[in-house]
Amino acid sequence: MSNQQIGSCPCLAVIPARNEQDTVGEVVRGVMAALDCAVLVINDASTDDTAAAAAQAGATVITLPFQLGAWGATQAGMRYALRNRHERVITLDADGQHHPDQLPRLLRAHMDGGSDVTIGICPERLSAAKRLAWAYFRLITGLTVTDFTSGLRVYGRRAIRALASREASLIDYQDIGVLILLRRKSLRIAEAPTVMSARRNGGSRIFSSWFTVARYMVATTVLSIARVGARERRRRATEVSAQ
Amino acid sequence: MNAQITAALLGLALAGSILYLVRRDHLHGPYALWWLIVAAATLVLGFVPRTIDWLAHLSGIAYPPVLPIIIGLSLILLRLLQLDIERSRQERQIRRLNQKLAILEEELTSLRRSVATRSDSGNRPA
Repeated sequence: MSNQQIGSCPCLAVIPARNEQDTVGEVVRGVMAALDCAVLVINDASTDDTAAAAAQAGATVITLPFQLGAWGATQAGMRYALRNRHERVITLDADGQHHPDQLPRLLRAHMDGGSDVTIGICPERLSAAKRLAWAYFRLITGLTVTDFTSGLRVYGRRAIRALASREASLIDYQDIGVLILLRRKSLRIAEAPTVMSARRNGGSRIFSSWFTVARYMVATTVLSIARVGARERRRRATEVSAQ
Repeated sequence: MNAQITAALLGLALAGSILYLVRRDHLHGPYALWWLIVAAATLVLGFVPRTIDWLAHLSGIAYPPVLPIIIGLSLILLRLLQLDIERSRQERQIRRLNQKLAILEEELTSLRRSVATRSDSGNRPA
């Protein structure tokens, strides 16, 4: 697929993937069937055949030289979208927990809602521990979001620009840091209910062990506290220097 | 008098190794300047320990020997802070380089492929 073809498409599906060779192909085919849009898989330095599986399914594949984590990979997709003038970016996970047939609905909700970011949420799927954690984060961040970690999101042009910037490069997790940055840029965040299924292979990366949970909670708390009151201080012009 | 010789030797050794490293180009720009200043300070303190008494008297510290410890510790803390700032800056640059490299690599591959399909020979490796 040549760049010219991709460039003409207003919408780009960004799928960060690390060692997801069993599911990524199916996800890519599903997205292509559900939406008539270009699909970009960011291969986060996988040690298996993720890149080949994605390319075979028809996706454009970007391979990071070394691992950056889910957000670093997604940001590479944002920068790609900015470079190739895509109007919207849809992100979803490569493990098959997000159903591609939900994408048209989510995209419509995004267009109708007029917000800069629309998060696809699945309230029924949240465990008690997650509910507690999210209530805590709502309290300390002041963000009114139901599911912070949902990787199923639609980003508009302004959000893409903000997230492709240098400012967003030191974010370690793709969820709260990203949302705080968006709020600081005075971008509107909305949510839309969707249907999701449990992960097929392995559990959540973040909620895998108590140690990682603790590290995640501490890192996110520090981030939230450090960002208290930090709203749009700099000029909008800084956004132009993105890319 | 013995302690004085020890101090002088320590100062000389430290200053000597710093000078050696700077001359061998193992320290980059601003770091070289910082370490040269440290080398000069150790030389002065090693050979003229009285400086400490004088400084302590100036700053009103009753027990002069703690002065170099306080100054040394605070400088180390400041330096550590500055190092972490520098590390964060580099981390940001490395991440962005990583992403840009990956994007350009993909562009190069797809450009090569489109050139290969456009050319008549067709059997050129993409």
